[in-house]
Amino acid sequence: MALVLPGCGGEAQDPNTIRLVAWKFNNPGLWRRLADQFEQLHPPLKVALEIAPHSSTAYHDLLTQKLKNRSSEVDVFLMDVVWPPEFASAGWALPLDQMLPPGEKERFLPAAVEASSWHGRLYGAPLYVSAGALYYRQDLLEHLRLKPPKTWPQLVSQVKMTLAHQGNQDLAGYVGQFKQYEGLVCNMMEFVWSAGGRALLPGDAGGALSKPRDLKAVRFVRDSLIDNAAPRGVLSYQEPESLEVFAQGGALFMRNWFYAWPILNDPARSKVAGKVGLAPLPRFSGGESASCLGGWLVGLSAFSTKPEKAFKLIKFLASEQVQRRLVLEEGLAPARRALYDDPWVLKAHPHFKKLPPLLATARSRPRTPLYPAVSQGLQVYFHRAISDEDSDLPILADTADIEINRLLGLIKEE
Amino acid sequence: MAALAGPRGERLLAWGLLLPCLAVVCAFAFWPIVYSVVLSLHRIVLSLPGLGAPFVGLENYARLLSEPGARHSAGITLAFVGASTLLEVSLGTLMALALDKSFRGRGLVRAAVLVPWAIPTVVASQMWRFILNDRYGLMNWLVFGGDVGSYQAWLASPGWALGAVILADVWKTSAFAALIVLAGLQTIPRDLYEAAALDGAGPWQRFRHLTLPLVLPALAVALVFRTMDAFRVFDLVYVMTQGGPANATNVLQFYGYKKMFAEGFMGYGSAVSVLVFVMVLAVSLIYLKLVGRRLLRGETA
Repeated sequence: MALVLPGCGGEAQDPNTIRLVAWKFNNPGLWRRLADQFEQLHPPLKVALEIAPHSSTAYHDLLTQKLKNRSSEVDVFLMDVVWPPEFASAGWALPLDQMLPPGEKERFLPAAVEASSWHGRLYGAPLYVSAGALYYRQDLLEHLRLKPPKTWPQLVSQVKMTLAHQGNQDLAGYVGQFKQYEGLVCNMMEFVWSAGGRALLPGDAGGALSKPRDLKAVRFVRDSLIDNAAPRGVLSYQEPESLEVFAQGGALFMRNWFYAWPILNDPARSKVAGKVGLAPLPRFSGGESASCLGGWLVGLSAFSTKPEKAFKLIKFLASEQVQRRLVLEEGLAPARRALYDDPWVLKAHPHFKKLPPLLATARSRPRTPLYPAVSQGLQVYFHRAISDEDSDLPILADTADIEINRLLGLIKEE
Repeated sequence: MAALAGPRGERLLAWGLLLPCLAVVCAFAFWPIVYSVVLSLHRIVLSLPGLGAPFVGLENYARLLSEPGARHSAGITLAFVGASTLLEVSLGTLMALALDKSFRGRGLVRAAVLVPWAIPTVVASQMWRFILNDRYGLMNWLVFGGDVGSYQAWLASPGWALGAVILADVWKTSAFAALIVLAGLQTIPRDLYEAAALDGAGPWQRFRHLTLPLVLPALAVALVFRTMDAFRVFDLVYVMTQGGPANATNVLQFYGYKKMFAEGFMGYGSAVSVLVFVMVLAVSLIYLKLVGRRLLRGETA
């Protein structure tokens, strides 16, 4: 096998080289090993890898830059679960329905299939998924004979009880991701959904942030969480910062994705190994627990000069054996349902049997071709609303709704 | 070469020599500006190709002026430019005055002063993020010591975040201003100071009537460079705050970048870059008018 370097002239024209643009795994050699396996199975096809930065937003900029230039140097790419409406509408991704054998769609988690679809067609093969979950310090809760909280107000009162009992200044109550970035939308949508709100009305009907349930959730985060159950610093936290605090024993509760579990239980990286519990996120009374769906799909570029060969790679990446490898080598939650009962998987990661109920609560963030712009609007609104305790919520929500409606109006105009 | 003799031939030769350079300037400096202006007059939304790319005249600019987010960003940019330029040029001048004196180890100190400037901005920004972290950051330890309860989340507070970005910029680029001013100081003939001292001028008088006027051209250059750079601030914001908290550090460049690259509004995003360009141009022209002309007059008088 020849190591093909990205950016070398000529190889884009090589009819047997499939160019894959992907984002980085924690385990940097994994992509190359997967590519090697594919090359062995499908000679004479070769895979040229381009590995993008470890930030979804930076990766989006890089990938869309290529696609808007109609670059034939991308055949297959990884897509964040929120991108299919945008990529489908812009004409960057090809529908995959015709290439899939019948019944194949049903083998994936329904939430992942829904995220990959736009106007009834499938634009990505689900690779792996994730969802928001509540991590808690089992030892501290058990000490007070507490069970993981079912509702958000319960969580706040458990924080107060535990902190009063521990009397430890270094222990925080709740940490999550509240910096102004994409993760803020995930965290806040979980509060909004679990209060029965939805931020955006279905079918581009408009913004719903000023609806009472949406407001209730945001008000709760501002008044009862930030600077109360959660330290003010969470307003600048992304995933690594919150994970670090929790892993060092600095917090009672943490909202994070599935990837945190193996790290928290690795004694070399965590002071709380073996003391951590995993539960669905709390809800508000009258609402249902909801978690934000994350994860990655594999898409086919509309500008690929060899879509059929490229699809072979997609099929390979979405196959059960590759997804099993992703679990075993990287700890990623597969998009294929069968693997949650797989003995190999459960042997390596016993906590995977807890994941299906969590994934059942997973929902897609608002689905629209203008998601990046809508997300920016949501980020600004949420961050303004929760970082200033005197913020005028109804006015901020109205302003955000108006902005979102203006954006959605563009879609109707199209 | 004989064919090129005579004034006409000389002019042709001059153009011939200039042409490659002109072509490069046109291709890489002039054309992108023109193209941005053209784009800014159209409505282009990448994810909605069905909209086409209709010519909309000044619609993007009208929205830019009426949009609260854009106005807010313009205000933040002006605050950043004003504060950082003022601080950097004053601090840089002080540093230059100190470095101009001869003392033991001056070479070493001069090199040390330049270190922040030599660090790539992305690395420096990341470092400042760590310093300003609310739990393990150096800043909290310096300000509050062991009093963990009063630790501040500097980058999470809309009141502090812009100050933090300005601080990082001042730390990083004051040395650049110092370098330029120092170069200016070195051109002042030493015997002028001796003559002034003989005439009984004190240190302040020597600075006020000798150093300051003579270093003014260098100061003006430092000011122009720093202002233009400050208008274009991007990487510090990108790494340290991503425009947050609550848009408190969402400078125009970052606002336009998000509109264009993240959200796909090519026309509107271009209008933002054109606005930044016009602002920088205006400021440069004002400087040239104020400082440049006075300087020229001063020199010819």
